[in-house]
Amino acid sequence: MVPDALAGFARVHADLVVHDEQGGFLRARSPAPTRRVGIVSGGGCGHEPLHLGFIGAGMLDAVCPGRLMASPHNRQVFDASRAVARGGGVLHLVKNYTGDRINFGIAAERLAHEGIDCARVLVDDDLASESAESAAGRRGTGATVLVEKVLGAAADTGLGLRELAGLGAELAGRCRSLAVASAAHTAPATGRAAFELAEGELEYGVGIHGERARRTVSRPPLDELVTDMTEALLTSLGPAPGESVIALVNGLGGVTRLELYGVARALALRLDGRGLVLERTLVGDFVTALDMRGFSLTLMRADTETVKWFDAPAHTPAWPR
Amino acid sequence: MLDHYTPEDDTTHTGAAFTEGWMRRFAASARATEAQLTALDQQVGDGDFGTNLRAGLDATVTALDTEAVTVASTAGRAARAGGPLQTAATAFLDGVGGTSGPLFGLLLEELAVAAAGPALDLTALRAGLTGGLAAIQRVGEARPGDKTLVDALYPACEALRVCPAEAGGRTALAHASRAAWEGVRCTARLRARRGRASYVGTRATGVPDPGAVGIGLLLSSAGGVVAELAPLLAEPEPAGPS
Repeated sequence: MVPDALAGFARVHADLVVHDEQGGFLRARSPAPTRRVGIVSGGGCGHEPLHLGFIGAGMLDAVCPGRLMASPHNRQVFDASRAVARGGGVLHLVKNYTGDRINFGIAAERLAHEGIDCARVLVDDDLASESAESAAGRRGTGATVLVEKVLGAAADTGLGLRELAGLGAELAGRCRSLAVASAAHTAPATGRAAFELAEGELEYGVGIHGERARRTVSRPPLDELVTDMTEALLTSLGPAPGESVIALVNGLGGVTRLELYGVARALALRLDGRGLVLERTLVGDFVTALDMRGFSLTLMRADTETVKWFDAPAHTPAWPR
Repeated sequence: MLDHYTPEDDTTHTGAAFTEGWMRRFAASARATEAQLTALDQQVGDGDFGTNLRAGLDATVTALDTEAVTVASTAGRAARAGGPLQTAATAFLDGVGGTSGPLFGLLLEELAVAAAGPALDLTALRAGLTGGLAAIQRVGEARPGDKTLVDALYPACEALRVCPAEAGGRTALAHASRAAWEGVRCTARLRARRGRASYVGTRATGVPDPGAVGIGLLLSSAGGVVAELAPLLAEPEPAGPS
């Protein structure tokens, strides 16, 4: 399924991406010439349009797709990094999962042997996986697309590797996400739901790989649900009244735009009520879990510069603005 | 097990021919113990470590055979003790799946870089193993005591640190190997905090970490092929009154 999809993607978007089948990665056909540092991301397939849809000028230089929901091999990351590194080196944008960390880490060690400067930005926004007991830390989810966009625009201004790594860590630290689902995705191996939920139940704090949430709740009215989720995100982020935020209302693969706009309304009302300035909102499927029936909310605390970079043009298969 | 070391061994050159032989013996050890490694890994992991290790070493042997027929590369290899180690490193890093296999690649790569001179001497071995440990810890974030391959590699590095300066490469490897197997036996008493074995909790107690066993195999293979894990995993008899 994955190789065919990759070939199809490369064919459809041949004006924007180049598919290196031997190396196992796709890269931007026309990246911004002002960029001094190449940006490489990647991860398991099944979350489309992430990351492939964000290859291109203004966002990612290369993407290494793994198999379905599995980390890419270190060789793919190594080859992609060598292909797109600039004079200033290469930046790895990694979602916080053990396999991705290890494979990107091995590639970074190999790049060091080749004399290529490499740094990493780790995205770990998922509030539901925050735990004092686990060393694994929060999962990387919806915030990835916001960090890819803002960091990509910053890279296009010619920032160096250390500056970008510092900015990326700060941006990732300013994001939190939370996801809910009323039905699991279809597991391709079995053709059945990855987990069962009864009528009227909601998985609260679900992951993007079919990993179950810590709790299952009975489904509250939408406004109440969005209010709860927003409050949890704001408690963790702690923005001051009057501060600006960028929001992502993200479908997990099995919900309609119509429903997502309803979520966006409830979110905007809640943020208004808290005296926050909702500068920009993205609505749609950006970081999916195959066909999971659910959505996630991501909030990013944003200053003027962040909003400017968010608004900067990007020319990729899936960036909507 | 490796106490058969005699001082004359150290006068033998530890150049590219030695490191190539070492990697070929490591491959033979992995083939001979694959089933035993798989049995261990099925108790604490997902059971693929023996297969992955063997795949990496089979690819290494194939690459070494290919290089051997190329005259130009043979001349290049003779000048650098690390050449065959680099061949093994690339085979592991590029071709092996899972996580432990590529981590072996990192260690071999650090050894290869350290062995840039004509012989793998104590200094190169120390730099390579210590550099490999550091790289593996940077990537895998494991500490000594987490029941991973670090628990074999760390004591091996310590043994090299206190190894007398006049020791040659072979003596140093024998010291490192002995310390690594002591570390392997310790992992059987540990509860895993990292890696696959951490998911099975106390059920992994009593079973040594397969990755650590792999480090023991690597170092022992410098002296000879290992066909049986049992004697190396058995706790030594307490010394009687003398």
